[in-house]
Amino acid sequence: MLQSEKRSLFRFLGIYLSSTFLLFFLATVIFYDFQKHQIIDTQNRGLSQEAERLTEALRGLNRTFTPSLVYPKERHFDSAIYNLDREYIFGSFNPKTIFWDREYYQQGEMLFYIHALHPYYLGASHLVIARMIDQEPIDNLLNMSIVFLFVAGIFFTVLGLFLGRLFIAPMKESIENMNRFIEDTTHEFNTPISTILTNIELLDTLYECEGKQEMKRIEIASKTLSRLYEDLSYLKLNHNYHREIEALDISQLIYERIEYFNTLIEAKQLDLTLNIKKDIVLDMDRNDAIRMIDNLLSNAIKYNKKEGILNITLTKNRLSILDSGVGIKKEDIELIHGRFKRANMSEGGFGIGLDIVNQVVERYGFRFHIISIYTKNTEVIIEW
Amino acid sequence: MVRFFLIIVISLNLTAQTPSPMLQKNCIECHIKQKIPSELIYRRYLMRYSTHKAIKKTLLEYLKAPSKENSIMPKQFFLKFPQKEALDMNETVLEESIDAYLDYFDVRRRFVSF
Repeated sequence: MLQSEKRSLFRFLGIYLSSTFLLFFLATVIFYDFQKHQIIDTQNRGLSQEAERLTEALRGLNRTFTPSLVYPKERHFDSAIYNLDREYIFGSFNPKTIFWDREYYQQGEMLFYIHALHPYYLGASHLVIARMIDQEPIDNLLNMSIVFLFVAGIFFTVLGLFLGRLFIAPMKESIENMNRFIEDTTHEFNTPISTILTNIELLDTLYECEGKQEMKRIEIASKTLSRLYEDLSYLKLNHNYHREIEALDISQLIYERIEYFNTLIEAKQLDLTLNIKKDIVLDMDRNDAIRMIDNLLSNAIKYNKKEGILNITLTKNRLSILDSGVGIKKEDIELIHGRFKRANMSEGGFGIGLDIVNQVVERYGFRFHIISIYTKNTEVIIEW
Repeated sequence: MVRFFLIIVISLNLTAQTPSPMLQKNCIECHIKQKIPSELIYRRYLMRYSTHKAIKKTLLEYLKAPSKENSIMPKQFFLKFPQKEALDMNETVLEESIDAYLDYFDVRRRFVSF
C-alpha cells in the first residue's frame, strides 16, 4: 500500500472510528445512566414497600399499651420516626442530615425515603427509611456496557477497514494509472535522451563543429530533460525504492554534480564560488543525495540572473547555496513551505523539484531554511 | 431468650416509674375511678397532634373549657360517659399537671430496640 493510501486510510479510519466511538460512547453512557436510574428506582420501590410494612407495625404498636414498645427493625433497612416538628422520636439509626423537601434521595452509598404518616401513630408524622445501595446490579450493568463498547469497537473497526479499502480503491486505481503512465513515458524518454547526450558528446569529441553554441543549447535542453526523467523516476520509485544507506562523501558528490551542471553554469555565465570543506560524510542513499543536490543547484541556476553569482558552501553541519536570482517575497517563503506541505500531502501535485528536496530532507531528519531578499538573492540552507 | 429477658427488665423498670403526686392527684386517680385509661387518651392526642407542644396547647384549652367539640374523644364516648367539668385550678398548676402527664406517658421513653 502506498504512503498516500495509508495516510488516506488512517485519516478515514480516524474520523470514522472516533466519531462512531464517540457516538456509541455517548449512547452507552446515556443507556447506562438510564438503566442505573431504573435500578435505583426499583430499590426505591423496595424502600416504599418497607415503609408500608413499618407503618403497619407502628399502627400495631400504637394499640399496644405495654410498658415497653419494641421498635420494628429490619435487617437490610434502617429507619427512624420523627414528629411534626421533625424531632427525632426513635429509630434504628439517627442520620445527621435529612433532606425533608425530597421524597427519595441518595446520600453517599445510601438511599433515603421519607414517608409521610397520617394519622400520626405514636406521634410519628414522618418515617425516614434508608438502605445501602445494592451495587451488584449496577456493577453488572457497567460490565455489560463496557463489553458492549468493546464488541462494538471491534465490529466498527473491522467495518471501518472494509469501508476504508472501498473508499480508497478509486484513488488507488488513479495513482496506479498515473504511475503506469509516468513509468511508460519516462521509459520512452530515456532512450532518446541518452542517444542525444551520447551523440553530442561524440560530436564534441570527434568533430570540430561550427555550431558550438547551438550544440551547448541542445546539451542543456537534453540534460534538463534527463533530470526531469530522473526526478519522475525517483518519485515513481520512491514508494518501493530500496535505499542503500552508505557513508557518502558529500563534498565529493557536490563537485561531481557541479561538473554535471557546468554547461548550464557556463551558459548563464555565473560567477561560481565554492567553499566546500573536504571529507564531509553523511549516512545517505546516493540517489537521494543526488536528487536533493541536483534540484537545489538546478533552481539556483534556473532562477539566477545572467552573470549572477552562485556560492556553494559546505561545512560539517550544513549546505548552503546562495544565488543572486529573482529572490522570493517574504510572504511567499511561507507559501513555499505551505506548498511543500500541500505537495507532500497530495503527492506531487505541485513543484516536483521542491517536493523531492522536501521528501529527502524529511526522510533524513534534516532542517530546511530559505533566506531571501526579493529581487536580490536567495540562500537555501540544509542543516543536519 | 436474651431478648425476652431484656424486655422483661425494661418493662419492670418502666412500670417501676410512678406518676408525680400532683399528676396522681389531679388526673390519674379520677381517671382510674372512671375507668378511662389516661394513656389511651394520650395516644389519641399523639395520633392527632404529633408533638407535645401542640398537645399541651389543645389540652390546656380543653381542660379550661371542656366540651364535646374540643374533646379528643369521639361523640359516641359521651353517650356512655358524662361531659367533664372545667377544672378548678390556676393555669400554672394546670400547665405543670399537663407537663407531668405528657412526661409520664412519653412514648420516646418506652421505645426499645433489639
